[in-house]
Amino acid sequence: MSLEFGRRADLADVRRVGIPRALLYYRYGIAWRTFFEQLGCEVVLDAPSDRATLETGDHLSVDECCLASKLFLGHVSALVDEGVDAVFVPSLMSYGRFETFCTKFQALPDLAENAFIVAGRRVRVISFRIDEPKGDAEEDAYLGLAARFGASRKEAKRAYKAAADAQRAYDASMAREQEKLVKGLSKLPEAERPLTILIAAHPYVSHDPFVGGVVEDALREQGACVLFADETDRSRALKRSYDFSHSIPWIVNRELIGSILMLHEHIDGIVLMSAYPCGPDSMCDDAIERCIKGKPILTLTVDAQAGTAGVETRVESFVDILSYQKKGGYLNA
Amino acid sequence: MRSFQSQPEQGVGEPRVKRPAEERGRIVMREGKPRPLFFTGKRPKRDRHSRRKVSFFHFRNYEPAFKYFTEQVLDADFVPTPTPTRATIKRGEEMSADYVCTPFKHIIGDYAAALEQGADVLVQVTGFCRLNYYGELQEMILRDAGYTDFQMLNFSYVASGKMRDYIAYCKKVVNPNLSVAHGVKNLLGAYRMVEHIDAFRDRYLANAGFEVEPGSFQRVRKEFISSMNAAKTNSDIEDGFRRSMDALDALATKKPADPVRVGIVGEYYTAQDPTSCLNLEQKLLDMGVELSNAMSISAFNLHFNIDAAQASISEYSTYDMGPTSTFNIAAAKRYAEAGYDGIVHIKSAGCTPEIDVMPVLQRLSRDYHVPVLFLTFDTQTSDAGLDTRLEAFYDMIAMKKVR
Repeated sequence: MSLEFGRRADLADVRRVGIPRALLYYRYGIAWRTFFEQLGCEVVLDAPSDRATLETGDHLSVDECCLASKLFLGHVSALVDEGVDAVFVPSLMSYGRFETFCTKFQALPDLAENAFIVAGRRVRVISFRIDEPKGDAEEDAYLGLAARFGASRKEAKRAYKAAADAQRAYDASMAREQEKLVKGLSKLPEAERPLTILIAAHPYVSHDPFVGGVVEDALREQGACVLFADETDRSRALKRSYDFSHSIPWIVNRELIGSILMLHEHIDGIVLMSAYPCGPDSMCDDAIERCIKGKPILTLTVDAQAGTAGVETRVESFVDILSYQKKGGYLNA
Repeated sequence: MRSFQSQPEQGVGEPRVKRPAEERGRIVMREGKPRPLFFTGKRPKRDRHSRRKVSFFHFRNYEPAFKYFTEQVLDADFVPTPTPTRATIKRGEEMSADYVCTPFKHIIGDYAAALEQGADVLVQVTGFCRLNYYGELQEMILRDAGYTDFQMLNFSYVASGKMRDYIAYCKKVVNPNLSVAHGVKNLLGAYRMVEHIDAFRDRYLANAGFEVEPGSFQRVRKEFISSMNAAKTNSDIEDGFRRSMDALDALATKKPADPVRVGIVGEYYTAQDPTSCLNLEQKLLDMGVELSNAMSISAFNLHFNIDAAQASISEYSTYDMGPTSTFNIAAAKRYAEAGYDGIVHIKSAGCTPEIDVMPVLQRLSRDYHVPVLFLTFDTQTSDAGLDTRLEAFYDMIAMKKVR
């Protein structure tokens, strides 16, 4: 979208902006929040996902949608009920030829709008499009949106810069934290080192308490040290992923694969988690299982089932196998 | 006009022009083959043909175009992929992950079958969404399954998207002696062939439901495909196409003035490929429906203006929603506006972009009062359920039309 400074600001009446706590919120949430706060809007976040969110989302979406997108619509619905002026749903497409997002993220604003209309409800969506290979750069997208809020060019630039900085600082701190943890682990003597398990999943799966929280809790309960593949230096991970594959088109999966490669020697096992049915994961998990050798991999597909017993059992048995193996096999245990 | 009557300035050395009446006729015939001139200005052509055995996957009836591309553009041997059977599909299903999209399973089954036929180069195209990664993962799976003696011509590896890089890549994998001039000329032929195959299909779908002599349309279509398969030059393609179109037009039909019309939209591969969608087109034709299928290589890849399409559906979507989303929504809207009686939306199981299109189509269906039938195809081979649904759909739209 071209810059529209000085034109009619069609979003100037939006004071309360809702950001659904789903999907790419877990990746860019800090930036989005900071950006709208800088523009003088009140940012409303809804409560973390629970079963009710899923049920609402399920009613709004087509049966075959993935779990994460059903949750997303549930969150949008919660925000609409809360009475926000508009909901922020960006359309993210790509940052490069092989650094794209799942088409779901590309379709989200229109999907949300249409799903609500079909259900006989209304939602006001504000959005922008990022598609760098086609010339819709990230900065232009943010500035264009700020212009529609009636901000001047200078204010817009300041808001974008604050947003980008805040997100970068947050990501860097998470990466630093994890690096410290890994370093600390490697200093421990072999016998005292806890089982280190890497969770490789889209951030909206691994960090959503309703979806991936169960797995994380189960792992910690078993005394394992949990690392996250999405909490590493993203740009290094992205670069590293080109050693693994030339043509994986998804940026998030690339980063996950890159950090699996980077952390490979520090971990005892990998949990690949995906929300059923995830398109990118359906192919990348297959590739990871075939190509990442030397570490046991547990592939978990999280479904909309009630109850967590199934997941817990799988995680427990995985940890058991790993700890026996660490002690030198079942016979030496 | 030259006059033979008076030539006062004729030089001494010049041959005297005979009077036409004086020139006597002469008949000459020598034994043997025609002998070329001593110097024709051309060196004998070197043999540029590569002995690589190239195979594609099975995709609708585009095989002649794939064949022409291989033989005339890449100048290599073509190994036709065997017609997919239940076993091929089963094989593909076993080799791939559970919830990868269905075309992946069909294609990898085809590849395994082609490798068993002796192919040593497999072609995979690039495009959008998961298709970008098809080639690499399929190569990985096939190698793990024990097929080692092949190379992949995977266009995803040409990241730049430049023609020069595509040619360099084809030279590297298939034919180092590839003639670019020859290739470009025949690529145009392949392009025309794809357009013709699609034009023929469109005409076929519009009329085949009303044939007088059962099987006559199928017969002409078979003849058309075999004439395309036999084409060796660009003019063969044009001739074959013209002849088959004339034959198709000459067939007797009993088309009513206002037939039941159904438009098909959907996911790129499944909406076109009869093996994937359990021969849905033919089933509808057998009910006596005028069909139109929006999806084809020429409609989507060659002649699609995305900006115009996006503008035409601006009330339904602000941004392009996915690889074929804008195309399908625009096509469905066109069908609705043209007064089609029903729309069939076809997708493979787990196709994210087409799932996202569904709410838009539901809205469109409501706005224009046109029924939309949503169908999802996985690797199932039984079509009883499909028959029931199509019959019910047909009954509904036919009754709605009468009312």
